[in-house]
Amino acid sequence: MSEVQPTQPEQDNHPDQMPEFEERLLLAERKDWEINEAVLQPMFKTGRGFWILVAILSAIVLWGFYAWGYLIYWGMGTAGINRPVYWGLFITTFVFWVGISHAGTMISAVLRLLKADWRRPITRGAEAMTAFALMMAGLYPLIHLGRVWKFYWMIPYPNNRFMWPNFQSPLMWDMVAIFTYLIGSSLYLYLALIPDMAMARDYTEGWRYKLYRVLALGWRGTEAEWHKLHRALGIFSVAIIPIFLSVHSIVSWDFAVTIQPRWHSTIFAPYFVIGAVYSGLSALASILIIVRRSMRLQEFLRSEHFDSLGKLVMVAGMAWVYFWFAGFIVEWYGNEPIVRELIHEEVSGPLAPFFYLQMGANIIPIILLVFKRVRTTPVLLLGTTLLVNVGMFTERALIVIGSLQRNDLPFNWGTYRPSWVEISIVAMTFAGFALLYTLFSRIIPFVPVWEIKEGRLRYTLRRIGRLLVPTAAEIE
Amino acid sequence: MDKTNNLIALFHESTDTAEAIDELHTLGIDDEKMVVITGVPYPHGALGRQVEWLTLPYIVAVGALAGFLFGLFLAVITPHLYRLDIGGHPPVGFPPAAIIIFVFTMMATIVSTFLGVLWEMNFPRFGPAPYHKLVTAGHLAVLLEYPATLDSQVRQVLESHKAHHIGEPERMAL
Repeated sequence: MSEVQPTQPEQDNHPDQMPEFEERLLLAERKDWEINEAVLQPMFKTGRGFWILVAILSAIVLWGFYAWGYLIYWGMGTAGINRPVYWGLFITTFVFWVGISHAGTMISAVLRLLKADWRRPITRGAEAMTAFALMMAGLYPLIHLGRVWKFYWMIPYPNNRFMWPNFQSPLMWDMVAIFTYLIGSSLYLYLALIPDMAMARDYTEGWRYKLYRVLALGWRGTEAEWHKLHRALGIFSVAIIPIFLSVHSIVSWDFAVTIQPRWHSTIFAPYFVIGAVYSGLSALASILIIVRRSMRLQEFLRSEHFDSLGKLVMVAGMAWVYFWFAGFIVEWYGNEPIVRELIHEEVSGPLAPFFYLQMGANIIPIILLVFKRVRTTPVLLLGTTLLVNVGMFTERALIVIGSLQRNDLPFNWGTYRPSWVEISIVAMTFAGFALLYTLFSRIIPFVPVWEIKEGRLRYTLRRIGRLLVPTAAEIE
Repeated sequence: MDKTNNLIALFHESTDTAEAIDELHTLGIDDEKMVVITGVPYPHGALGRQVEWLTLPYIVAVGALAGFLFGLFLAVITPHLYRLDIGGHPPVGFPPAAIIIFVFTMMATIVSTFLGVLWEMNFPRFGPAPYHKLVTAGHLAVLLEYPATLDSQVRQVLESHKAHHIGEPERMAL
């Protein structure tokens, strides 16, 4: 085959395809220092809008802490939870945040192992999302304890109370699994960050220099360091996948090992995991679109990345529908009285608005994502992925709250209405997540610069017929 | 003992670097006397260097085993020490024990990978070390230690492959 020299595309022949190739060409032609500056410059710009956002989010977080303090002082009675709905908005949101955390590993670890090159610019955003979502999720078991200062009783150490954690309890599994995932995802995020900390160290001064210097740990970029980092990231990628699968499985077993109707299901673990992936990937797409615009990272987060992410969301959505249906049909066919009552409540009873919101908000996006225009138009993709998370939050609420309203003792049926304390605390975690992410995006390079440069090494442009096509070499 | 010189040279691109390294090898300078610093991870063999043998997988394996044993201790031994009979289950059941053992094994695997790679890289290391900030800007740096008698030949090789900023390496606080 004759070798074709890369040339500029003929813009008049393929107007639809050219912008994408031009963007790639632009990045390919950028010098390393230009890429560094393109990533670092937006971090240093914190205008009035940024500080207003930080102030609003901080105010919500402070209000949430006040509500938590109120809950601690006056007791759990200030929350709306009561018999039979003893798990309310707190546990619903806990499950939601654990679900959101699943995107990071999916993008970073799974796609790294599959050598999917489009992952490169979005890995850090995804990993940060995992870590922050788990931090928010981890608050809920503490909040739900009521007497939060008794938390240390769950830590196994010899004590004069002769008390020991019950390792047969799903809540104990929960604690160790979430703690493990938080440690794993934080270390994974940090390890891949070290070379970029060194890059930022070389470009900054003042407090930023001090911070980046400490975080870079003395990184220089010797061949040996790169080799070891690659090996460690490879091990991380393999090790974190079973953890990622186990965490939401264990969360699902909090429900499934009880004999509560609609919870006692063998399909709950994979159903929860795929729901988490669906919700996490959607949240990632939403966040990337917002960050891309606010930090002007259009050169790095391009339509091809959103196209691929959109396809992944669509596939996860189809899998979610399959698992939901597989669980639903068995329950419907079994026709047990309490389950029948619960299904009736959802389909045509007082829970119907939530049920149809759940189904609509989860299924309509799948249909929309079939269209490339939706996947590659930021505003459309943002709307679609936000809709998914409305649907997934509603799904969690129906599972946790909806199911608990009916049980095997009809005299013990009841309803639930969240109190201002619960709503405030839930708002605190959403604002807290947004605040952490906002600050993170201005302190840490949002785009993994070294991974981008590594990916660039692999690419050449080849002419195939009348097209100029990026071609990747297998060098990892 | 022969007097040795230390030198740093920067290159614009990898082919020149690899060719210069090959010629430095032919001058008798060993791989151990050369350090290549880059802002991008180049694939193995791209710069004509030996791949270093790592102990990291062994550290990880030992860590995973330690986590497994700790999980086994918590899930299988301690329930007999603090007996709690619930739900008609035996004090130690396979499914809960499997979960606890699995999670602790994975936690130890992850933590030992992290600590292992830091140990292998000798991190953190904040003291002064030979470095050049242009590495971050895309240049490839080669640090050399060689007998002083080869000085002119080494410089000639480096210059013939378009090296620049050739000179004594600056030790920078990292």
